[in-house]
Amino acid sequence: MTPTQIKSHSHPIIVAENLAKTVLTAEGTLHILSSIDLIINSGESIAIIGESGSGKSTLIGLLAGLDTSTSGSISLNGLDITQMNEDGRAAIRNELIGFVFQSFQLLQGLTALENVMLPLELRGDKKAKAIASRLLERVGLAHRLSHTPKQLSGGEQQRVALARAFATQPKILFADEPTGNLDSKTGASIIDLLFELNSENQTTLILVTHDAHLAARCERTIKIEAGQQV
Amino acid sequence: MNLSRFNLALRLLWRDSRSGELTILIIALLIAVTSSTAISLFSDRLQRTMTLQAAEFLAADLVIACPTPIPTDWQSRAKQLNLTLAQTVEFPSVLIEHDELLLAGVKAVSSSYPLRGLLKTTGADYNSETITHAGPEAGRVWVEKRILSALKLNIGDSLTVGEKPLTISNIITYEPDKKGDLYSFSPRVMMNDADLTATGIIQPGSHVHYFFQFSGDQEAIVNFKQWLQPQLTPSQKIMDIHEDRPELGTALIRAERYLGLSSILVILISGVAIAMATGRYTQRHFNATALLRCLGCQQREILWLYCSQFLILGLLTSAIGCLLGWFAQRGLFKLLKDLLPQQIANPNLSALGFGFSIGIIVLLAFALPPILRLKNVAPLRVLRQDLEPLPISAWFVYSLSITIIGLLIWRYTTDVKMTATVLGTGLITLLVLSVLIYGLLNLIASLVPKMSLTWRFGLQGLIRNRQATISQILAFSLTLAAMLLSFTVRTDLINNWQQQLPENAPNHFALNIFPEQQLAFKADLQQDAIQGSQFYPVVRGRLTKINHTPVQKFVSKDSQGDNATHRELSLTWTKELPEDNKLVAGQWWTPTQTVSVSVEQKLADNLKINLGDLLTFSIDNQLVYATVTSLRALKWDTMKPNFYMVFSPGSLDAFPSTYITSFYLPEAKKDLLNTLVKKYPSTTVLEVDLILKQFKTLLKQLTQAINYLLYFALMAGFTVLFAAVYATLDNRIYEGTLMRTFGANRKFLRKTQWIEFGVLGLISGFLAVIIAEAILYALYTRVMAIEYQPNLTLSLIVPVISALFVSLVGLLGVKQVLNRPPIHVLRGL
Repeated sequence: MTPTQIKSHSHPIIVAENLAKTVLTAEGTLHILSSIDLIINSGESIAIIGESGSGKSTLIGLLAGLDTSTSGSISLNGLDITQMNEDGRAAIRNELIGFVFQSFQLLQGLTALENVMLPLELRGDKKAKAIASRLLERVGLAHRLSHTPKQLSGGEQQRVALARAFATQPKILFADEPTGNLDSKTGASIIDLLFELNSENQTTLILVTHDAHLAARCERTIKIEAGQQV
Repeated sequence: MNLSRFNLALRLLWRDSRSGELTILIIALLIAVTSSTAISLFSDRLQRTMTLQAAEFLAADLVIACPTPIPTDWQSRAKQLNLTLAQTVEFPSVLIEHDELLLAGVKAVSSSYPLRGLLKTTGADYNSETITHAGPEAGRVWVEKRILSALKLNIGDSLTVGEKPLTISNIITYEPDKKGDLYSFSPRVMMNDADLTATGIIQPGSHVHYFFQFSGDQEAIVNFKQWLQPQLTPSQKIMDIHEDRPELGTALIRAERYLGLSSILVILISGVAIAMATGRYTQRHFNATALLRCLGCQQREILWLYCSQFLILGLLTSAIGCLLGWFAQRGLFKLLKDLLPQQIANPNLSALGFGFSIGIIVLLAFALPPILRLKNVAPLRVLRQDLEPLPISAWFVYSLSITIIGLLIWRYTTDVKMTATVLGTGLITLLVLSVLIYGLLNLIASLVPKMSLTWRFGLQGLIRNRQATISQILAFSLTLAAMLLSFTVRTDLINNWQQQLPENAPNHFALNIFPEQQLAFKADLQQDAIQGSQFYPVVRGRLTKINHTPVQKFVSKDSQGDNATHRELSLTWTKELPEDNKLVAGQWWTPTQTVSVSVEQKLADNLKINLGDLLTFSIDNQLVYATVTSLRALKWDTMKPNFYMVFSPGSLDAFPSTYITSFYLPEAKKDLLNTLVKKYPSTTVLEVDLILKQFKTLLKQLTQAINYLLYFALMAGFTVLFAAVYATLDNRIYEGTLMRTFGANRKFLRKTQWIEFGVLGLISGFLAVIIAEAILYALYTRVMAIEYQPNLTLSLIVPVISALFVSLVGLLGVKQVLNRPPIHVLRGL
């Protein structure tokens, strides 16, 4: 398969070649993903679509270095992460990547501010508190800094998650069904905010979604069916 | 209940146990059952051994114990009543053979001994035991095996007791009336009393114990006893099998009680682990229960489903625990081998039953409250996951466990007041410690925001669930404190005793030196340049009255006064104030005084004796009155002869006396002992080194037995740690995985884990040191009168070791946190 065409003015930030993921089960080898070739440019917004169980989440898991592939290679910003160990990939994630999850994934014991500060503190940023406060103000939660996730609504929690995702000014943002757990109105406002922040930060966005309208807001769509790119 | 429901319960139990869901619960229960079965078997066997021996414990139906022979008309009276008579004389004596010395407990028996029970001996091959109903013939001697090895002797060799050489014919393995006190730990030498005079040991004033034994029909015994009682002097004691229950030595009774109480500590700590593990189990079964309720299961069916699973689990685990407990008690008997009678009753099924029922009871007490929550799971939870059943009332939970623990303590103390004291003190201690730890955790919580990310995340593990953290710290600190105590008391007792002795302090006591030998003995010591203390005359006597009031009215149980009035005292007289004694009240002798006595100050305080009081003593069946003219303070640990009562010179001249002295014999001159003992066969030389060694062995065995139980407590402590870790494991995995998603590396996570468990262990260690030192301080200053010195090295080492151990075990528990791939975050874990 030919690598997907790229924008001429920017450099490739994610390159995946001949990517495959298989698992061994009692019934034999199960192919979850096979022969994926991708080139994603810096600043691009990509929607990954496909039915449940098609392999979308596995794909972004591999691309973000959260999981290891069975074969093939992935390079992020020119670095081959398939050659790295878990701690190497963790360093790359901290430096390059931001995440937004369907179920928010905030640490329950921490306040909104502390949740946003977390990735900054992990990289030893001395201005963590100031950056986190500014971002929470940007997502409209200036009055909620000391609240814990339990004291926030679903929409507010996802705003905290957005602030956290952009805190380290990542080059790439992976968003996995970011509106899946929200009502349509709240979901729409979150998506607006996501795209706003994305354009402000010139981030490469990889968005996994079921929603065709949402996919249409991205510059490009990659469809996965039964573990294959179509 | 129909079979299919039972099958469902079994199937669920099987699944849960295979998935490791119940592992901690099973281990905690196993520890509790194993330790309580071991202790139950141990004390039951010990008690039954004593009860079985009741009839022969005295080796007679009635015994008169006294320091001097009984009047001959008593024996005539017994013969008139058709009673059979026997007599034994017991005394310590130093034996010397092949240049080896050994302090032995010699027992000279008459030909009719034992009147009840039997003796067991073996020959040179040690294999076949022979049962006999009579002691050794004249000219022969039976010895315990220890004597042969210590003195390099064999059967057939000659052994000299006093001045009399006797032939060793048998090894004695069992005698019915051997007492379980410290005094009888000296190895036994049994001889015929026909040889007694030839030994030259028994002379007027010798320190020996006579036992006159009688047997016959019950009516005659009762008759004889009634006839005897009005004639008894304070130093003569009657013992009969109906009134004097055979008793274990105090050391053993205390050991048994400590072991019992330690096993309750194990049960309590295991109980906490069981409660925690069941708490997690129920939480993980909320969803399944909601589904079952949704499918139409009623509340009582839910309860039955889970209770039956736990009951099956309890039955199986308790059975295995009983088996392990059976092995464990064998270990305990092995540890205490030298302190115990040689013939021990076989294990009893009812004792095993006790261990078994402890398993079921502990499981019910600690697992039932969390399980009851499952009954209250709302079926609506299938739609709303946040709906949690109400927790069971704290009053119910605590009163259930306190009742069970209270009943267990009562079982070991069989004393309501003591049970209430132990339970009350225990509860107050736990409460105070919990408040203390809670305060500490709050302090940590307030400091956390100012700390670095690693420390913040590490310490968050501790402050997140404070109740679980408090339980863990309590479990570890109490166990460590108990271990620290048993270790420190043992070493301190021995070290303090040795350290407090000045260089060249006397290391030998010589007692029973007859007046005519005194000068020669002194000359012999001087000839070899042996430093000795003064020679004091000794007359044995008992304090009976203070100002005409019986002394028993002044004593409280187990006090110094109680000890001093229940036995014969060594009474002395001297012209000068003994060295190292200090006069604290009154005046030393004035020539005009009549019979006067100087009393040791602490005893005087204890018995409320004041200057000018009239004391009555019973000496050799005569009464002696003496006025208290002074009080003395003295140092007991100088290794010089010390006396509670010192009389004015001449006061006790009418009574036969012997002399006592102490002297320092350097290692190089030990040979001199040989000469001395051979020259003065009736004199008893006590080697302080030997006594200290014997005492060390005894102490070591007792503390080893207690530590043996404390290892169970430590294991239980680790199950509490595991239970607490597992209770939060899901959350830890979630957070760890999320942190790694954001770029935290394993090193960072590992560091946070080290901090969490290290601090947990450190706090537990420090608390253990504080608890142990506080108890030691009270024990040393109030009870043992040993100088208290905090052990700084141990105070630093224990927290570090505790931190290290808890960290290693804790890290093992959270291994999964580091190994779970971060992809699980995407899959909602």
